[in-house]
Amino acid sequence: MKKTLLSSVVCAALVYGADVLPMEKRTFDQSKFIPDISLIMDASFVDRSIKDDEVAHLEVPGVAHGLLGSHSHGDDNHATYNAQNGFNLNYAELVLSSSVDPFFTMDGIFHFSENGVEIEELFFTSNALGYGTRLKGGKFNSNFGYLNEQHHHVWDFADMPLVYDAFLGMHGINEIGAQLQWTAPTPFYLMAGLEVLQGENEQSFGHETIGDVEDPIAEGDDGVSLYVGYVKASHDIGDTTLLGGISYAQGESRIDHGADEENPHAFSGDAKLWGADFVVLYQLSSYSSIKWQSEYLQRELDGIQYNLDATGAVLSSPTMFKEQSGLYSQLVYTHDKNWRMGARYDTILQNDVKNNSIMVEQPNGLDRYTAMVEYHTSEFARFRLQYSRDNAMFNEDGQREKLDTIILQANISIGAHAAHSF
Amino acid sequence: MKKLLTLLTFLPLTLLAHLNIAVSYPYIGALTKTIGGEHITTTVLAKGNWDPHFIVPRPSLIANVRNADALIMNGGQLEIGWLPPLINRAANPKIAPDSKTFLNLSHHIELINKPKVVDRKDGDIHPDGNPHFHLDPQNILLLAGVIKDFLTSIDIEHKAIYEKNYGEFATMWKAKIFEWSQKMADKKGLKVIQFHDNLAYFNKAYSLVNIGTIEPLPGIPPSSKHTIEIIELIKNEKPFCILHDVYHSTKTAEFISGKTGIKIVLMPHDIEALENITDLVALFNHLTGAIK
Repeated sequence: MKKTLLSSVVCAALVYGADVLPMEKRTFDQSKFIPDISLIMDASFVDRSIKDDEVAHLEVPGVAHGLLGSHSHGDDNHATYNAQNGFNLNYAELVLSSSVDPFFTMDGIFHFSENGVEIEELFFTSNALGYGTRLKGGKFNSNFGYLNEQHHHVWDFADMPLVYDAFLGMHGINEIGAQLQWTAPTPFYLMAGLEVLQGENEQSFGHETIGDVEDPIAEGDDGVSLYVGYVKASHDIGDTTLLGGISYAQGESRIDHGADEENPHAFSGDAKLWGADFVVLYQLSSYSSIKWQSEYLQRELDGIQYNLDATGAVLSSPTMFKEQSGLYSQLVYTHDKNWRMGARYDTILQNDVKNNSIMVEQPNGLDRYTAMVEYHTSEFARFRLQYSRDNAMFNEDGQREKLDTIILQANISIGAHAAHSF
Repeated sequence: MKKLLTLLTFLPLTLLAHLNIAVSYPYIGALTKTIGGEHITTTVLAKGNWDPHFIVPRPSLIANVRNADALIMNGGQLEIGWLPPLINRAANPKIAPDSKTFLNLSHHIELINKPKVVDRKDGDIHPDGNPHFHLDPQNILLLAGVIKDFLTSIDIEHKAIYEKNYGEFATMWKAKIFEWSQKMADKKGLKVIQFHDNLAYFNKAYSLVNIGTIEPLPGIPPSSKHTIEIIELIKNEKPFCILHDVYHSTKTAEFISGKTGIKIVLMPHDIEALENITDLVALFNHLTGAIK
């Protein structure tokens, strides 16, 4: 009896299933409202001249550490892109975007990795205000500088420019907040923008309490703590496009390295960041171009460094003043739809560190040279071979470690992905 | 003094009445200017000698759409790779795709070659059909009417002028259509090869038969395997010529020509595609006279 009943249910389901209505006749069907969906994978094969365990402990002296490899913070494992020798699955980027109503659009960009899911960006944008003003709210990449707003899969190299990575970390200024941009009614492109952000950057900005809440090392400051402003202008001369911009970011700074095994420390103070960017694109044909892109960043950190012991107790708390700058300059030649190649130069220009007003000597010649060649089977698939010689990395004994890296990167996308802006 | 004041008050108003219309491609600019006459100015975003699919969304174009009172686009996903970021950046509600000052021409034309299955393994296909519809002179006449209605809808005040300009253009164009069809009469049934099927509407209008493309699939650059197949096809089918666009390299076509002796005919797709193509009449004069 049971069997008959079960089979008749299955039969009924099959009959019903075979009679599914075509999409346009389903009364309450909403599938036409599905947002644009795309999925981008980024995977790489890496060969470094230094072992993974050592790479994770390298630092740019006086500037930043933990830029390469993967790091454990308690139960939380944090890996940078291309973290290990051999194969790496950097991320699966899921992008959803659609109009919300006549007044604004929404975009969500999610990074799935083996360590979990990150909301890379999630924001709404309104273009309905008129007068060339655009409002954005949520979590997004700041429009500071040129590269900061671009996603990893748009970059011309597999890794971030050294100065960006050192001053802002692998995500750049990626914050929760609001952005207001205004495009001027001028015959040439002129845009100004202002951003009010929470301020949670691992390398430069932060406002959280460091240490025990009862007896903090550095007390936090609630609320918004980072402000960014910029002006950009562009002009065409024949087939050449020039784009330049200046940017400024100012905020509170809390950098917590209290959990580090070696020399645990924390910093609390204020941070200022200046940026200047310049891009020249010379279009040779519809498919061929030469692009020269350079950015200069300058950072000022002013506050107190707390040197800690293994238990988190403060050993000393000298004043700390850092004035640092660096730049990258890259040239990329697009030969045709299939081939691109490029070279990049990275350097830290200034590295002044004053501990209790006494200058701490820092090594010179912090630079990196990178070259790459790309093959695109189509607009949707890119394979890149990149070599870099990094002279900016030092080990824990303060010895320079020349680092050679070869990265073979595959970046593949499917689905409906919106075109990128300039 | 009073006169001067009146002048000063009305001067900005007359300036505002002057519509600034951004258009994606030169042919749309020419049509819009013909219908709009002195009551509008047009800003053409793309250059006529470049591949219409691959326009760099340079920031100067953001400024152009930022300052526009209306936008006319080709549509059919021809601008999908470059216009959306401009519209997004410009933050101008007048050119938002749902506004009444926005016109998508493809919505007024029946597109041909609409793929039954949409899959990127078939190359960079246009899901709505072939978007190069302006290369059929009959469609130009249709589009002129669409643009006239559009201009009238956003600027009713100058309705009579737009009607008059359209009437004059239609009379002239109809005579030209007759002239061109006479010129092309003996080309009926002629087999041709193309680089990319961007002359689909032109071929259909004059009954030319496209038997193959040099690119293996839409948007995919030539491969040696496919080139050999095309050489074989040319040897077997004996097409009259290769109709080649101006923006792709003719290298592969020249190689094929060297092996088979087939002629290569350069076919401009828009105004400015070649130096002597300065208006729509010159474009079709050239196209209908090129195949000899």
